[in-house]
Amino acid sequence: MDKLPLGLALDLRNVVPYKTGSWRTLMPVNIMHTPPCTQECPAGNDIRGFLRTLAEKKDYEEAWHVLTRTNPMPAICGRVCPHPCEEGCNRRDFDSPLAINSAERAVGDYGLEENLEHKKLIAARKEKVAVIGSGPAGLSCAFHLAKRGFKVKIYEAYGEPGGMMRYGIPSYRLPNYILRQELENILKLGIDLECNVKVGVNIPMDQLMQTYDAVFLGIGAQKGMSVDIPGEDSKNVYTGVEFLREVNSGKYMNVGKDVVVIGGGNTAMDCARVAKRLGANVSVVYRRTRVEMPAITAEIDEAMEERVMFRYHTNPVKIISDDGKVVGILCVQMELKEPDASGRARPVPLPGSESVIPADTVILATGQSADYDGIEVQKRDGKWVATSETLMTNVDGVFAGGDVVLGLETVSAAIGQGTRAASAIEDYIDGSVESRLSRPPVIYSKDLNTYYYQKKRRFEKEALPIHMRLKHFKEIYPPLDPEAIIDEAGRCFSCGLCFNCGNCFMYCPDNAVKISPKTGLYEFDLDFCKGCGLCAKECPCHYIQMTLEK
Amino acid sequence: MTEKSRYLEGVEKKDLFAHGHRACGGCGQALAARLVHDAAGENTIACVATGCLEVFSSPYPDPSWRIPFLHSLFENSAAVASGVEAAYKALGKGPVNIIAQGGDGSTADIGFQSISGMFERGHNVLYVCYDNEAYMNTGVQRSSFTPYGARTTTTPTGNRTRKKNLPMIAADHGIPYVATATVDDFRDLQQKVKKALSIEGPKYIHILAPCPLGWGHHGELTVQVCRLAKDTGLFPIFEIVDGKLTNVRKIPVKVPVEEYLKLQGRFKHLFKRGVPAKEVAEIQEIANENIERFNL
Repeated sequence: MDKLPLGLALDLRNVVPYKTGSWRTLMPVNIMHTPPCTQECPAGNDIRGFLRTLAEKKDYEEAWHVLTRTNPMPAICGRVCPHPCEEGCNRRDFDSPLAINSAERAVGDYGLEENLEHKKLIAARKEKVAVIGSGPAGLSCAFHLAKRGFKVKIYEAYGEPGGMMRYGIPSYRLPNYILRQELENILKLGIDLECNVKVGVNIPMDQLMQTYDAVFLGIGAQKGMSVDIPGEDSKNVYTGVEFLREVNSGKYMNVGKDVVVIGGGNTAMDCARVAKRLGANVSVVYRRTRVEMPAITAEIDEAMEERVMFRYHTNPVKIISDDGKVVGILCVQMELKEPDASGRARPVPLPGSESVIPADTVILATGQSADYDGIEVQKRDGKWVATSETLMTNVDGVFAGGDVVLGLETVSAAIGQGTRAASAIEDYIDGSVESRLSRPPVIYSKDLNTYYYQKKRRFEKEALPIHMRLKHFKEIYPPLDPEAIIDEAGRCFSCGLCFNCGNCFMYCPDNAVKISPKTGLYEFDLDFCKGCGLCAKECPCHYIQMTLEK
Repeated sequence: MTEKSRYLEGVEKKDLFAHGHRACGGCGQALAARLVHDAAGENTIACVATGCLEVFSSPYPDPSWRIPFLHSLFENSAAVASGVEAAYKALGKGPVNIIAQGGDGSTADIGFQSISGMFERGHNVLYVCYDNEAYMNTGVQRSSFTPYGARTTTTPTGNRTRKKNLPMIAADHGIPYVATATVDDFRDLQQKVKKALSIEGPKYIHILAPCPLGWGHHGELTVQVCRLAKDTGLFPIFEIVDGKLTNVRKIPVKVPVEEYLKLQGRFKHLFKRGVPAKEVAEIQEIANENIERFNL
């Protein structure tokens, strides 16, 4: 027998411990939750994933790959997305939400600078898919299909790809070179692109349906709707889409001294700000108030900063023209009455309140619709394509997504629909029923133990001063500091997923939390866990939960 | 990364006080014991007085101790530890960390004279008191650490006396190091143990270790209760090094004592009539006195 160390009467160092796990009535389990940012994101981005990668590994490249699993256009979304993710961020109830949008832009920009490339998931398949329209929905659908090995061809009606991102979003919000680089990167997956081909006009839809295994319809809402007022056929009256397309195609527009924009949506804001940059005095005429404006709040704010005049409660009655050219617009004041079907207050004209606003150019940004020339699908409300839950139209094998289905929506919503349609198309071709992936439950602030987090200032991107902005069409937000973004990513709560804080490991009175030798993550030793629930209570991000013992 | 418990740097986890012990779920003392011995390291002898810790950790044949362990009577763990220290000195062996430890009963009541003697003789021993504010092992009887207003089986209508302030008594022995800690801030606790063991002479660390059974709260609240004890001012966190009060933990946001009391069954009778009893004001007074005295 070995000699015992000093102080030991019995050698009990190598005993078999008594298994206290049998006392347990509740059992801790690790449950990954959906963070509210991902829940709110129309494209379904793994926001927590890329922020944690940035914070922990300070690795922009990996963060880019995490982000581009769902969203092939982070640099674009980081600029134009109205970021509903930040509305959802649980940090909102603690100090202020994370600057997710800025982080996305920084990651996207890094990807472009370093020429990072998307990876294909599987080798080539023989099935072919046609995508009509190279807007965000079409590109996203093509991207996800190409990653899964399908042969994809995109048909684009205009001269350059990008859809509304190319022709609708002004370059002070989204510079052209960013769009081009990001699109080229997507096309590098082996996607064919044919521009200047309008499906239904230059090439019949039937031919596509015969040649391809499936067709995705992402034609967007490219047609400006006119308001039915007298004088709208005068010279220098444009629809919003038309106006933006001309400017974005690089054509110089002589808008004159006074410009009146009619409407309160995103297109109206873009038109107003573009006209301002062309040197005009701009008024936005809207028949309700700012509260009812459908435009993104930040854009209204920026337009106001740039001295765009807003005339609320005002409705155009007649466009006054002299010799066929606009000279002014006759407006009437409105009064808001009880809400209408859209839930917004119903404007009623006030008698005797007519006035004339002088105008050299009038831009009608009062709505858009899809251009269905030669494409026959079933529609709802006669305007947007009706689809099943899997985004299939009434025509077998034809799927649709983006603005043409949703009505006027955001780039990220279109990306989300493209992603979904890609999965649906794969299921359709494989003949399998779409497996509805249910998401884990969403986690809200009340479930978090915020004691372990520290308050920290939010990163705010800084815009160029207003007098600088109005001189040119350059981007109004200069590049972001990568270090500051990493700091900002460190603010992420990591809601619903372990971030190795070690609380469970250190607090367990029974040493029943171990570091797994295989994965390096924390795991429960159920032989000894007594189910006290201390780990679940002190888990900052609610990754640990107590459930009833089986 | 700025989050408080982001990295476990400087924190020890060796499981020298191992799993398989018979403590109740969420036991603060089991947690405290592990933290203390992990910080002390393998070169340690534990001299443990009778009490919960000894009872739940040492049944034959599967004790939880992975370091030498010496069980003594309720009253003499400090005296036994003194003897161990003297023996090591006489044999010319060591250095070794000797940690005498006990619950609040054996520290403040039964074993008080032996602790006082150990302090006075100047043995190089660390005394750790696991303060769960009553004799929990024998069935929740009042000890001299039981706080004012708390119900125990021997004070069914609430304790009428205030808690004995042993850290100050220990400091008045003129020993080089006295500290208080709780189990919720494991980093602070382990740093204090390490600091104490680096100092020559008698040392005293007072650890608030909630007892879910005796205090009448759910096991999962152990850490939260500790946190509230600190943030209400009822349990001040400080160090006394060579007679000087230092490293007082400032309360970030002061919390009224009701929040601490309401979590625990032993104070339930104070809120029975819908309005807080007059004892609550008295307890708040104690907290305020602590805040003023230690400048929390």
